[in-house]
Amino acid sequence: MTKYRIFLALIAVELATLLCLYGLGLFRFNRSAPEVVLLQEMAAELMLTDLAIWSEATYARHPSQADLFSPFQDYPSAIEHFPSGSILAPPFAERRGAHE
Amino acid sequence: MLHLEQVTKIFNKGKPNEVVAVRDVSLEIPRGSLSVLKGPSGSGKTSLLGLMGCMSRPTAGRIVVGERDVAKLPERFLTEVRRKTFGFIFQHFHLIAGISVLENVMLPLYPTQMPLGEIRRRAEGVVDDLGLSARKHFAVQGLSGGEQQRVAIGRALINDCEVVLADEPTAHLDTTLSEELIGILRRLHGEGKTVVIATHDPLVYDRAFVQQVIEMRDGRIVPA
Amino acid sequence: MSKHLKILEFVLSSLLRRKFKNLGIVAVFSFVVFILASILFLTHAFKAESLAILEGAPELIVHKIAGGRHDLTALRYGDEIAGIPGVGRVLPRYWGYYYDVSTGANYTIMGATGSPRSTLQLVRGAFIEAGQRGVCVLGQGVAEARLTGLNGIVPIMGANGELYRFQVVGVFTDPSTLLTNDLMLIAPEDIREIFDIRPDMATDIVVQVFNPSEVANVAKKIKYRFPELRPITRTEILRTYETLFSWRSGLVILTFVGALVAFGILAWDKATGLSAEEKKEIGILKAIGWETSDILALKFWEGAVLSLVSFLTGLIAAYLHVFFFGASVFAPALKGWSVIFPEFRLRPTIDPYQIFVLIFLTVLPYIAATIVPSWKTAITDPDIVMRG
Repeated sequence: MTKYRIFLALIAVELATLLCLYGLGLFRFNRSAPEVVLLQEMAAELMLTDLAIWSEATYARHPSQADLFSPFQDYPSAIEHFPSGSILAPPFAERRGAHE
Repeated sequence: MLHLEQVTKIFNKGKPNEVVAVRDVSLEIPRGSLSVLKGPSGSGKTSLLGLMGCMSRPTAGRIVVGERDVAKLPERFLTEVRRKTFGFIFQHFHLIAGISVLENVMLPLYPTQMPLGEIRRRAEGVVDDLGLSARKHFAVQGLSGGEQQRVAIGRALINDCEVVLADEPTAHLDTTLSEELIGILRRLHGEGKTVVIATHDPLVYDRAFVQQVIEMRDGRIVPA
Repeated sequence: MSKHLKILEFVLSSLLRRKFKNLGIVAVFSFVVFILASILFLTHAFKAESLAILEGAPELIVHKIAGGRHDLTALRYGDEIAGIPGVGRVLPRYWGYYYDVSTGANYTIMGATGSPRSTLQLVRGAFIEAGQRGVCVLGQGVAEARLTGLNGIVPIMGANGELYRFQVVGVFTDPSTLLTNDLMLIAPEDIREIFDIRPDMATDIVVQVFNPSEVANVAKKIKYRFPELRPITRTEILRTYETLFSWRSGLVILTFVGALVAFGILAWDKATGLSAEEKKEIGILKAIGWETSDILALKFWEGAVLSLVSFLTGLIAAYLHVFFFGASVFAPALKGWSVIFPEFRLRPTIDPYQIFVLIFLTVLPYIAATIVPSWKTAITDPDIVMRG
């Protein structure tokens, strides 16, 4: 067998794997659609506004309610909460213009 | 077959390191002949061979291959002429290290429309012919000098060229291997190919079978 | 047969000559793609997930600002806001943060009661009945941090210094972790007691607005009538979340900038200097009848083979990593100071645009870096090889 055939076969296998993964992902995505509806309804029932991803600081736990000076709101000399602080964008600036 | 008219080749023209390699050379290589370009190193043999084989274009003058004037031909066509007409055998063999004998021989035909299987069949024929069948899957750098030179010859022959150009083919071979190589070149000549050998090895040029000896010195042809 | 396939054949033979070097390049390249793709997949999935889930979040929340800080909100505001035209139900929320000394974790404690239909489906066990005191429903993260489960006891230190004991009647199930992981739901009466919230106060107020297009107007009116209040609309929350996961600002990208730069240097080094051997090989190929365009095709395939294999390998690895293994490589980096951190079970969503961005960032530059430097050698006359 020539090398280019092996190579093209490898590429084809990788593409097929990707397609399969994508298909599987799509299947899982669609299957979990009712779950998301359930979560939406729960957010409504419990009146939840934020995701429980980072819980180490209030501004990380509830970015929707964070203040504009949020990185220091927990404690005057609080160190910046490293990863979340750099991943979380500061509260959306438009809010300032709109209501404050 | 090859017709050169007042050909001059200047490298690095207009720069401080300007070199006139070939000066005002006119010559004729008849079809089916075996000619030798003779002269010391630096006499311009290699440059002249390069010009004949369409490896570069002359700074001035006319080169006719067959019926075609190639001196002003664009690169594309020049390559085509080179591929279809010439087979080169280099002084340092110039094989691609790391790949097999067979693949080295097949290389010139890769960028053509010929199917790979056909190229392989041809290459195997050529390799068998040169007595390298046992080594065809070996990487070339492991071969002896004589074997490497034969691979280089195989590569020159794969495209069924009309003209074989050899640049100092015996420079790295001992007497026995040189004789073997000369034998191969003579055989090719016998098959009707035009052969031009650039050399300063008396083993090659002082021979009865040589039909034409062109002596070069300082880029010029020394009148016979 | 196309001549490109034959050139490809030679490229493969040629690459196999330096097996370890090229495998090394593929490994590093795949890793770079893996990291970049993982970040893109992760952030995109996060974004899609949060936007989908928070569609259910309240349209409008109002809380009091005192001296620039979040303050408890008097219930009387609710009564007045209810009078604004277009406003439906107005409900108080009771919630707060609790730092648990024994586990070093922060919980979000929230008052909840009744029998929310959908929530019940996401809870193992029971929910807090109206009027029932001393019981709680825990998020999985809290339950795990406290090494407890159904019928366990969670002690909470109240504002008055007393220890309150809550019996676990329900635990949130797996699919809900993204929303509930650090939650501890208790009765509103209980939370008022332990957080010392006066009966006429609430943490904040949720305002229902009938017409979605009126939300901004209502918010404006509230702000105008009560300058001390801060309204937060759902649109703003969604927008915050959208920017929040914007991949550019990701720490992880920063962490791996080093790897990216190293790879860039590698590619650049390869790009700027063709080795003498490579130059010689180009010369040989030209001498035996290859055209300039064939040489460039050769170089193209050389770059394409390495980058295509690496790209696809990296992409597959990233997909598996993010969607099947919960981004476990990044988890420690993403986790940061959080003691309680959810295990992601992200739903696979992929934006084709991202794939193009990835190709644009990795495959194309690499191929270009392979072709460009060989250009100059490829166009020179092959007779240089004869004198070499």
